[in-house]
Amino acid sequence: MAWELARFSSDFLVDVPALDGVEVEVVPAGEPVRVTHVLDAVEPRIRPDGRAAFPTDGRAGEGRTNRLDGVVVLSCLDFPAEERPLHEQESIVDLAGPGATLTPFAHATNVVLTFGPREGVRNEELEAWARRTTLSVAEEICRPTLDAEPSAVERFELGPADESLPAVAALVQLSDLGPLYYQYLYGVPAGQAGLPRAVDPCEVLDGAVTCGEYHWAALRNPTIAFQRNELVRGLYREHGERLRFAGLVLMRGYEQTADDKQRAAEAAAAEAARLGADGVIVTTDAGGNSHTDVMLTVRACEGAGMRTTVIVAEMADPESTNPGLTDWVAEADSIVSAGNAEELVPAWVPERVLGGETLLDGTPAADAGPVPVRNYLGATNQMGQLALTATAW
Amino acid sequence: MLAKEIERAGVPTVFVTSLPTIATMIGANRIVRGPAITHPFGLAEEERRRIVERALEMLAAEVEPTTVWEVEPA
Amino acid sequence: MNAVHYLNQFFAGLGGEEAAETPPTRLDGAVGPGRGLAAALDGIEIVATLACGDDYFAEHEDEAVDRLVALVEVEGPDLVVAGPAFGSGRYGYACAQFARAVSDRLGIPALAAMHEENPGVAAADGKTLIVPTAVNVAGMRDALPRMAQLAGALAAGRELGSPEEEGYLPRGFRRNRIAEKSGAERAIDLLLAKLEGETRSEVAAGFDRVPPPAPVADLSTALLALVTEAGCVPQGNPDRLPTIRAQGWLRYPIGSEDSLVTGRYESVHGGFDVTLANEDPNRLVPLDTVRSLEQAGRIGAVHATFYTTTGNGTPVAASTRFGREIAEELRDAGVQAVLLSGT
Repeated sequence: MAWELARFSSDFLVDVPALDGVEVEVVPAGEPVRVTHVLDAVEPRIRPDGRAAFPTDGRAGEGRTNRLDGVVVLSCLDFPAEERPLHEQESIVDLAGPGATLTPFAHATNVVLTFGPREGVRNEELEAWARRTTLSVAEEICRPTLDAEPSAVERFELGPADESLPAVAALVQLSDLGPLYYQYLYGVPAGQAGLPRAVDPCEVLDGAVTCGEYHWAALRNPTIAFQRNELVRGLYREHGERLRFAGLVLMRGYEQTADDKQRAAEAAAAEAARLGADGVIVTTDAGGNSHTDVMLTVRACEGAGMRTTVIVAEMADPESTNPGLTDWVAEADSIVSAGNAEELVPAWVPERVLGGETLLDGTPAADAGPVPVRNYLGATNQMGQLALTATAW
Repeated sequence: MLAKEIERAGVPTVFVTSLPTIATMIGANRIVRGPAITHPFGLAEEERRRIVERALEMLAAEVEPTTVWEVEPA
Repeated sequence: MNAVHYLNQFFAGLGGEEAAETPPTRLDGAVGPGRGLAAALDGIEIVATLACGDDYFAEHEDEAVDRLVALVEVEGPDLVVAGPAFGSGRYGYACAQFARAVSDRLGIPALAAMHEENPGVAAADGKTLIVPTAVNVAGMRDALPRMAQLAGALAAGRELGSPEEEGYLPRGFRRNRIAEKSGAERAIDLLLAKLEGETRSEVAAGFDRVPPPAPVADLSTALLALVTEAGCVPQGNPDRLPTIRAQGWLRYPIGSEDSLVTGRYESVHGGFDVTLANEDPNRLVPLDTVRSLEQAGRIGAVHATFYTTTGNGTPVAASTRFGREIAEELRDAGVQAVLLSGT
């Protein structure tokens, strides 16, 4: 299947609709601004054929989609504390200062949506409102591109490739740890989406996966990390050059029992084997026991004769030599480190704060002192979006 | 490494050594401290019997990873 | 500025294995390799050398460390340097533990030098800076200037840079940096390399631990095998087991013997004084005791073969391989329990 992604410059960002209960602010790249309580980051997209940019009908990755280059929609929401079903984490984006090196968004024009609390509305409902509104804003602000010519068009299509090249599949984990900790596939929580299963890699790039998972910010895969997925794009680029891109399997993270974890790992490996993969790149979503799912999947793939490389973030006490991996199996002998989420980023005083003046731990966001990497949205993204890594000192 | 690899194969193994710190670091699980580098199983027969008995007890015991047992003095 | 230097009995000129029981000793100024180190140091004088026998340190570690630290305290140096110990396990271990204690207890910066596979590196557990050296003394000329360089950085009291910049072995702390490529591109590179047979990782598998297998259910029926890393071989070492950095392991039949008789067996381990072991090889491989326990019914049977190698400067990968190979033989023979002896 072929899919085209048409690029439009940020000049097409003309207007952001006013929304009831939402503060909207457009921040140019590099402003000394700290954004707090960030839920998600989304690239503005729209489809000329009138279908939804973030579809729920199971049809992404076909035809053409327009994108606004260099524009990011950030959604912010400070949940009422007493209702937190799990401990949702702080999530910061710094558009300048030392934290700006941990995010690609510092180079973008940011459309910051701050969702206010609403009387009598519970967390899950608030979250659903914020998520849907954010996706529709991301679609709406792309509308001016519909009557224009793109500056470039990328075509995603897997043509025939030399059979002697190794077949490589991507195994992409999506979290499902319950409400506020779901990733969505076509609007359905990952745990109810019939995973593991193979999808067209274009679907992932074209809005089929959206983020509703608010665990450790640095280990989060926001929606834009799927839309601009470096791994899928890299595998397309390398197809026919150094490898054959065999396909992509979505699997669930946070299976809830040891047996389910084992079964899911074997099922994911079986899907990759059906794609004919010689090698598999396994990616991770969030932290904690999703790392166990990933490691068991590595073991299952290696056991089925496929070689693996796995991408994980580390959580190592900077003053300790204890390894920073949450879980590990002997088969995981090829690991990409997405960085150590426990390292501290030096203090920075922004000129302005958006998203909420007070961090979840009660400190003023404008003068928070050093902040751990784990609180920076997507900083140690475990699909390999960024270049951060950790090395031994 | 020998102790770890033999235990990996499922055979309980007691490592008698006068350097239990090193044995612990390389991941041996059942460690009995021997009296000296030059004679881990003791000089006299009576001492050797106490060390071997201690090792046999450890072979028959459930242990936590990297456990070190001392030999009771005579 | 002043430094104190630590050496073992051999490098301090007190003697070889026969002097390995020497307790902590203070010598004036720079001694042995310390003279070359002194020449390489810039603005730092070695005011005293401390020495200790390798066996003494290993067998009386707490006491040896206490006494050495007390000797350092008297000197009150700005800096302490230990080694180089190269591939010598006991010497490296002593250097690491001594240097670690000096910085822990006295707050004086300390460094040690040794080969990267020396057990002292693991003993340091990131608490001591270690300058990597060659595996043997041929690397002395190369090691001293690099020790002096790191010593200079420590004495200056500045914050240290990365291991590559400063010339120390990574201690294991995980520090972030921005790589040249994205994680996704690096993953593709690593996977393609692995598919071609070259496995690399950005995270060293740090905790390869084996859970203890279930205990022996009934010793009185169990087949027990004897294994040693102490280099015990038939007299004359007919199969030429190396005294250091063994390339393999050996097996010898003991089915018809009640004891490892003096004069028929010996130890060729190059890392300790083998006099006491050769007086009675059962001190290394206790065949006499286990045979009598077999006859008394305490254990089922003694496996008719014993396995031997020298665990002395053997690289991790090699000794892991020996372990796997021996384990396979043991399992095939139905062995249910192992008595392993090392130094």
